[in-house]
Amino acid sequence: MQRILNKATALGASYADTRYQRFDDEQITVENKELKSYSARRLSGIGIRTVVNGGVGYASTSDFSQDRLAATLRNAVKAARSVKGQKHAFAETKIKKATVKSPRKIDPDDVPPEEKVSLVLDANKTAWVDTNVKTCLTRLGLTKDSRLFMSTEGARVEVETTLVGLAHSTVAKVNGVMENVNDIGESRCAGFEFIKSQDWNSYTAGVSRLAVEAAGSGTPPPGTYTVVVGPLILGLVLHEAFGHASEGDIVASGESVLQNKLGEKLASDDVTIIDEGIVEGGYFYPFDDEGTEKEKTVIVENGVLKNFLQSRNTAHEIGVKTTGNARAQDFDNLPIVRQTNYYLQPRDATFEEMIEEVDFGIYVRGKGGGGGEVEPGLGTFTFGVGPSKVIRKGELAETVKGVVISGSILETLKTVDAAGKDLKIITSVFGGCGKDGQRATVGFGGPHVRVRKMIVGGR
Amino acid sequence: MELADSAVKKALSAGATEAEAYVQRINNVSVTFQDKIENIRTVESTGIGLSVAVGKKTAVYSTSILDEKEIDEAAKKAVKIAKVASEDSRWKHFNKQFGKTSVEGCYDKKLENPDYKEITETLISAVSCMKAFDKRVRPTRSFLFTALENVSVGNSYRESIERKATEVAVYLTTKVEEAGMNSTGAEHQQARTWKEIKFDDLATKAAEKAVKYLKAKVIPSTKMPVIIRNQIFANLLGIFLSGPINADWVQKGRSPMTGKLGKQVASQNVELIDDGTMPGGFSTRPFDDEGHPTQRTPIIEKGVLKNYLYDTYTALQDNVESTGNATKSIGYWTRPQPTPSNLVLKPEKTSLEEIVQQTEKGLYVEQTIGEWLSNPVSGNLNATVTHGFLIENGRETQPVNGVIIAANFHELLMSGIQMIGNDPRSSMGLGAGATVYSPTIKLAELTIAGK
Repeated sequence: MQRILNKATALGASYADTRYQRFDDEQITVENKELKSYSARRLSGIGIRTVVNGGVGYASTSDFSQDRLAATLRNAVKAARSVKGQKHAFAETKIKKATVKSPRKIDPDDVPPEEKVSLVLDANKTAWVDTNVKTCLTRLGLTKDSRLFMSTEGARVEVETTLVGLAHSTVAKVNGVMENVNDIGESRCAGFEFIKSQDWNSYTAGVSRLAVEAAGSGTPPPGTYTVVVGPLILGLVLHEAFGHASEGDIVASGESVLQNKLGEKLASDDVTIIDEGIVEGGYFYPFDDEGTEKEKTVIVENGVLKNFLQSRNTAHEIGVKTTGNARAQDFDNLPIVRQTNYYLQPRDATFEEMIEEVDFGIYVRGKGGGGGEVEPGLGTFTFGVGPSKVIRKGELAETVKGVVISGSILETLKTVDAAGKDLKIITSVFGGCGKDGQRATVGFGGPHVRVRKMIVGGR
Repeated sequence: MELADSAVKKALSAGATEAEAYVQRINNVSVTFQDKIENIRTVESTGIGLSVAVGKKTAVYSTSILDEKEIDEAAKKAVKIAKVASEDSRWKHFNKQFGKTSVEGCYDKKLENPDYKEITETLISAVSCMKAFDKRVRPTRSFLFTALENVSVGNSYRESIERKATEVAVYLTTKVEEAGMNSTGAEHQQARTWKEIKFDDLATKAAEKAVKYLKAKVIPSTKMPVIIRNQIFANLLGIFLSGPINADWVQKGRSPMTGKLGKQVASQNVELIDDGTMPGGFSTRPFDDEGHPTQRTPIIEKGVLKNYLYDTYTALQDNVESTGNATKSIGYWTRPQPTPSNLVLKPEKTSLEEIVQQTEKGLYVEQTIGEWLSNPVSGNLNATVTHGFLIENGRETQPVNGVIIAANFHELLMSGIQMIGNDPRSSMGLGAGATVYSPTIKLAELTIAGK
């Protein structure tokens, strides 16, 4: 890789970096007590970013022969030369040399395939809690992501992250009505010891019971409600509707609803939002894909917008420091500004206090929800949530299903009037966040919060 | 020997009783731009998905590295995994019907070596059209993507066959801000050849949209007829039908279309075909991802359900022929699933303008988010409208956003389709998998959740 960097300089690049990656992914799926699929995948290659006359060019390949690497470098330089009229420059960053690994006791590769299969089979079998359960799907995911970053500035950062997890979904049918609870399960940046330490049998049974309960319940009438929001769905909404709008590239392009709003009070006093590289339960992200150390970034403090997330390029354009948020899905992609672990800081309310003061509303829960989508330019968001509870005269009442919440993020955050003292941050080996055609594994979460105005629809 | 064939051979000598190899080589160029070009990226992406069977036990192993040593290792690993797998009692065999259907309009030689100069000039011209439409319009982050794809598929029954295709897609976004109000406008087009993309027209339309929706607001909850723009209705058709007409869903009892062959599932005016051979179609190809030739398969004729879509595995369960719909829609590293190719809803003669004029009161929906949260099993549709217009007495009066539209899609299909437009366009979304072509549709009463 050092040879490529030297050659890039010789070809006229004012800056170049290379990213080598090897990604191993194993997925085991059990459907209805039978192994449905066992697939393993290796992705490996190298990407080269060059800056020539202020233009950025990128090229990548999976072919490590000297010829192809040289051709890939030439492609990157040619692409950079074709970008006319730009003055791409990178804000300064601390040049690091480091090798870091996420905590791991047992390498998933060292566990025999039959042991993995039998664990997933067992978890699936215990999910058949009663005759209302119609379909059960259990998945085990094991990934290992090794990346080496080097630049003409002398950086050399090597990070290896192992992420493992199990997820389950159950379809239940009660009185002819089908309901699917598809849960993202539990994942951790750890080795196979995490998988061994969990009681997956009671986990999958819990998902099934929720599906049965939901199948037998109704949908709330559409309208605007007071809602108490659980950590999972809160984290998702924050990530999608506020987090993306706080990404420096979206801000710099003028697309973000947060543009020109630094220093403004955008949310109630209870809202403090953080993006942090290493947190309990989240995704392990000590360095970004430009070799910058990812530290704790305060986005919103007591309702006031403080910072945006930056890469070296967006930081340069805005005239600030990079926050270590330049991330690439893999060696095929250029790093773009992404969140790492984005969460709402807890406060002092208890869950009971938040519920007590609601005359009529909904306790919105994320488990089994369907994800969501945001129009970033407008801040309009919509999310499918899991089986939830009606709140009536300060108490949790019947279960409701098929709930969709929607709103405009800047208005919604102003109506947050309580945040809990609990904190849960999660990540997932099965999914990730999509932006510009790239996926990234992220962490998200927060405490329970109460929101006074949320549009609720049925699905 | 072709790489796919040598991989199959290696798997057999490693102990597989059957093997199938799918080798993919893609060259992408993608350009990120705003008012200027931001960057140009060029990617050579390769991969092999090696599926093996040991008796009735199966597994898939894949790698992005296409050299002999890596493939030796892949073959051994795949067989090792398959041996610990449990038996699939329904397993018969891999595809034995190989062949190519003749298809047209899917390859543009120009995209073999994309000309960066022409590309950048075309994009800059498009961006200038946005500002020319209205100087308040700001171009925001936009993307261009071209691909040259080469796939070969072979298995232990047949020597590999090869296909080549090109793709080009553009996604343009704009924003207008005025007096504390925000509005966005986006347009998207995907095609197989460079000349089909109307860059300047799309840019002008995106700008027009941003200006048009500047004063959009949430309206009170109500019920009224809804007109859904072609590309958005295409998305909805994809969400609600691609699963239910998939033979795998039907065989597992998950599909609401189970047991409905030969029965009315839609109103008489609905004609839907899965056409893997449509000239220039975004999902057109000579053979599917297990080497089976593609074809035209009628799905709904005069509202009556005619066929489900099959790959080899599901076809062998029902003792029928595969319809050539095996697709690795997630990637080369997965087993293929029956997936629609080009799913085409037949247009009629009414234009969008005429549909609006003939609407006394209704909501025109131009863009939505979150429609994929809908449930294809129950048919419950919901989508949040980001760009909509209230129609009163045949005219667009108030721009609308932030409301949720809801209905049961299967009921709408049966009795809610009031008018079918004459303006087919394809669904959004890049990459492999189904493409749906639909005209604009007017639907009977939907629930609208707002203030």
